[in-house]
Amino acid sequence: MTGRGVARRDVLAGSVATALTGLAGCVAEGGMVGFESGSDGPTLAVLEDRSRDFALTGTPKYRTTMLAIEEINRDGGILGEEIDVFAPDPQSDNMRYQDLTRHAIYREDVDAMWAGYSSATREAIRPIVNDHEQLYFYTTQYEGGVCDKTVFPLGATARQQLGAVVPYMIDEYGDEIYTIAADYNFGQLSGDWVRIIAEEHGAEVVGEEYIPLDESQFGSTINNIQSADPDFVMSMLVGQDHSSFYEQRLASGLTDVPIGTSTNMAQEYEHLRIDPPALQDVYAGVNYMEELPTDRNEAFVERYDERWDDAEYINQEAQNNYFSVYLYKEAVERAGTFETDAVLEQLESGLEVEAPEGDIALDPATHHMEHNMRVAHADENHEITFTESETIGPAFLEEVGCDLTSEAEQTQYEPDAFYEVA
Amino acid sequence: MAGLGLLDFGFEFVEIFAFVVLATVGLAVIFGMMGIINLAHGEFILVGAYATTFSFAAGLPLPLAMLAGVVITAVFGVVLERLIIRHLYGRLLDSMVVTWGISLVMIQLVRIVFGNSAPGIGIPFGQLPIVDGPVYYLVLAVIAVGLLGGLYALFMWTDFGVRARATMQDEETARSMGIDTDRMYASTFAIGSALAGLTGALYAPVMPITPEYGTGFLVEAFVAVVVGGASVIVGTVLASGFLGTVNAAVTNVAGTFMGQVAMLIAAIVAIRLLPEGITGLLADLREKRGESE
Amino acid sequence: MSVDSSDGHLAQLRRPFEGPNTLGNSSAFWAGLAVAVALLAAMPVVFGYYAAEVGAVFLAYALLGMSLAFIWGYCGILSFGQVAFFGVAGYAFGIVAINVSTLTGATLGLLAAVAVSTAFAAVLGYFMFYGGVRDVYVTILTLVVALVLFTFMGQTAGGEWAIGDARLGGFNGMSGVPDLGIGVGSVGLEVGLVGHYYVTLGTVVATYLGLRALVNSQFGYAMVATREDETRTEMFGYDTTFIKFAVFTIGGAIAGLGGVLFTTQNNYIDPSVFGITAAALPVVWASVGGRTSLLGTVGAALAIQFVDYQLAISGSEWALVFIGSLLVFVVLVMPEGVAPRLHDHVAEYREPNDPEPAETPAATDYPGGDD
Repeated sequence: MTGRGVARRDVLAGSVATALTGLAGCVAEGGMVGFESGSDGPTLAVLEDRSRDFALTGTPKYRTTMLAIEEINRDGGILGEEIDVFAPDPQSDNMRYQDLTRHAIYREDVDAMWAGYSSATREAIRPIVNDHEQLYFYTTQYEGGVCDKTVFPLGATARQQLGAVVPYMIDEYGDEIYTIAADYNFGQLSGDWVRIIAEEHGAEVVGEEYIPLDESQFGSTINNIQSADPDFVMSMLVGQDHSSFYEQRLASGLTDVPIGTSTNMAQEYEHLRIDPPALQDVYAGVNYMEELPTDRNEAFVERYDERWDDAEYINQEAQNNYFSVYLYKEAVERAGTFETDAVLEQLESGLEVEAPEGDIALDPATHHMEHNMRVAHADENHEITFTESETIGPAFLEEVGCDLTSEAEQTQYEPDAFYEVA
Repeated sequence: MAGLGLLDFGFEFVEIFAFVVLATVGLAVIFGMMGIINLAHGEFILVGAYATTFSFAAGLPLPLAMLAGVVITAVFGVVLERLIIRHLYGRLLDSMVVTWGISLVMIQLVRIVFGNSAPGIGIPFGQLPIVDGPVYYLVLAVIAVGLLGGLYALFMWTDFGVRARATMQDEETARSMGIDTDRMYASTFAIGSALAGLTGALYAPVMPITPEYGTGFLVEAFVAVVVGGASVIVGTVLASGFLGTVNAAVTNVAGTFMGQVAMLIAAIVAIRLLPEGITGLLADLREKRGESE
Repeated sequence: MSVDSSDGHLAQLRRPFEGPNTLGNSSAFWAGLAVAVALLAAMPVVFGYYAAEVGAVFLAYALLGMSLAFIWGYCGILSFGQVAFFGVAGYAFGIVAINVSTLTGATLGLLAAVAVSTAFAAVLGYFMFYGGVRDVYVTILTLVVALVLFTFMGQTAGGEWAIGDARLGGFNGMSGVPDLGIGVGSVGLEVGLVGHYYVTLGTVVATYLGLRALVNSQFGYAMVATREDETRTEMFGYDTTFIKFAVFTIGGAIAGLGGVLFTTQNNYIDPSVFGITAAALPVVWASVGGRTSLLGTVGAALAIQFVDYQLAISGSEWALVFIGSLLVFVVLVMPEGVAPRLHDHVAEYREPNDPEPAETPAATDYPGGDD
């Protein structure tokens, strides 16, 4: 081939690279244009999916957040300033989330961020959030264990949710458990937690199955459950393909085996999307569902329905987004400034908030909530009833010694490092 | 116990076989016969499912609602064919990009118009004794087999079938022999769309419906069509049988994840060993036998 | 700039990069290209870190798109799985660089990642082309390979899925991937935020020029001949199977390079790079930009990602409807892609007074599709 051409190319590439490296020296953070955010007032970023895979769960999150911000602005804003919102649609795409997070930080100079449904999204943007020490609220119920100085994972953790529902199920139905879970981080870690909690309560996991997220045919799984004949099933199925499980459960006559869950009903409202009685005797460990019969919650749901006329179900994380905006407001007002360090200090001072789920407190050490957990039961008409609520704190992170008030970490702990999860 | 295990396995096979056949059949006609890589295949299924669900919710009995799903998807297919697809014949790879665009548009339009979820239907017919599976799966399998038989008869034995195949093979010659090739293209595309609509209609009770509903069918469909090879109907049967067996067997032994991976790897190996698909192999064998006779 | 005075010298310098297999062989073209590169280089200076970070990601995509334009446009191999090499390289870099947490690690990581993606492409290419897999079967097979990786990587969450200190991380992805760097131990050059942009831009330019030289070489003629008529090319004594194998392997290497630049920019990679949405993107760029034009594909990758991104920022629910319609429209109106169409217009316009035919018919009349 053309040896001379190659040599020239190298020379050329080399000189181009040199020239470019030279340029690198004269780049300022804001560039020559020097972007400032559009207005001087505070800006909050709301990155929630309104299209593609996570639109079903992301849309209500977006809507409750907007509701909270609009309510606050109507009542005079925060510290007398009206709040601006940066609310693009990340389209359930982690790469898009990364770019939008950069946009939020550099171009909008946002004061705080609410972003993402899935844990993968959170992990995708956490390096950027960490680089810029950006205040970030992640409110989906999740596997737990994130211990990060500027991140506030305010949703209930797997341990909190399973800690509410697994002991209840063991009391009610017996001690043989069959676990079915989505085959990814959240599902696998939830499966570990079921085993740990079962052991603590003298119960036993007799079977365990992890199912790829895009599986929609459950014949084999249902078969395996039938032959294992457990006292109850623990389901950590996730996503739209997995919701087929319940229809197929009904048609296979599996409704006589009750199901405990930390994922279904309170996230993707399967009990409303699927015809009864497919979810008969499903018990969910939750901190919130739209059906919660308290005056405060009913008023909240009414405000939401008034604001959004084709309103979709308020899922758990939508409520979490709502109260966390108010939590942030409280912290800013106590700090008297929007400046991140001062707000962080206030957030770590033991704040309480009047959430639709009830009065709850933020644990300063772990940046997690002490949630009001209850067990929600769906009957044959998919009517929801709740047990008495109990306050469950972020016990796992306390056990591993996460104390963000004294040590600024940026880690995620996992149960198998601290428990025997054989 | 072993007998019961075998019965369970058989039932799982029926479930997966029906799923693969029904996911594939519409695509097999459009891709296999017309050379259009229809990446919007899943969204044709989506149209069928939505039409069925909303007809059912509006009070139609389920069989009629399903029929509505099929008809609406067929009409939708014809409109799309006349507007866009007809420019893409003979442009196999361009068709892929265009249909990808169509799929983006449709998913989002469905979301804007109907929201993020649709009412459920519920699986009809109750459950089978002994294996405790839904009777409906057997119905699906019977429909799948009947459909393949019907299509084979339609394309091989009827006047329409001969004309359609002639058009797909050599448009010029077909037209010079007096065949209205435009109509042949449109009607073949309509049949493919109707089949996709039927799949959506049949699975509307099994899988709760969202705008992303169709994406769940796409991979199985493409893999089966390619493994099947040039002769669409026979190919679909053989490929679905092959892939279904691998998936059901491995799932039975090693769980759902391994079943899925095994099916995909089996497909890769099959394409490598049989570059012309299963029916290519059959044609080769037939040729060889012809030579030796 | 004194283009005129050194024209003779420049023309000689240009020669290896020019030929019938590439669009744009005139002085005006090269001047335009230089301006475009200069503008891209000025982006971070004008718009700051933000442009550098987001721009670097888009340029890494452009590299991925170019790898596809090279194998599809010039050799007729449509791979729907270029993202497989892109992603595998990203993971490979992460595994090496996390385990060897010095500049040695970053250097080794870069080498290992490109080596792994090249080897992976070579194995897959050998498996396919020496097994007689062709045309649309290649397309589907490569897609299935990407999907297998997607399914597999998604479930690698547990602690047992670790290579040394590097956790594969399952669906949540691999975090903590270090920045790019060249050196041994702590001695060397760590590529920072702005530097990364320029390294990526430099890589894109170098790859573009390198591929231009390649497709205009003897080997390039053989590639194009293979694309146009494989049987005839074989009868002329070329080993077309080897040509396809080699081209596919080079494509894998380039995609891998893109993957490393992408992963080091984000310090993160997750299985969604193997998903069907990601897999479709390079095909879309190449189709819209014009797969027979490397530069067209680069331009399309940058433009489409930019428009798509702006639409997402707007938060409009019509964003996806718009981008989908745009694809349909472009492919229907400009079947061969934007760049070749643009080129035809320019050529027509200049026909009367430009004696140099900028393009031979062989490439412009390429009817589309390798079927």
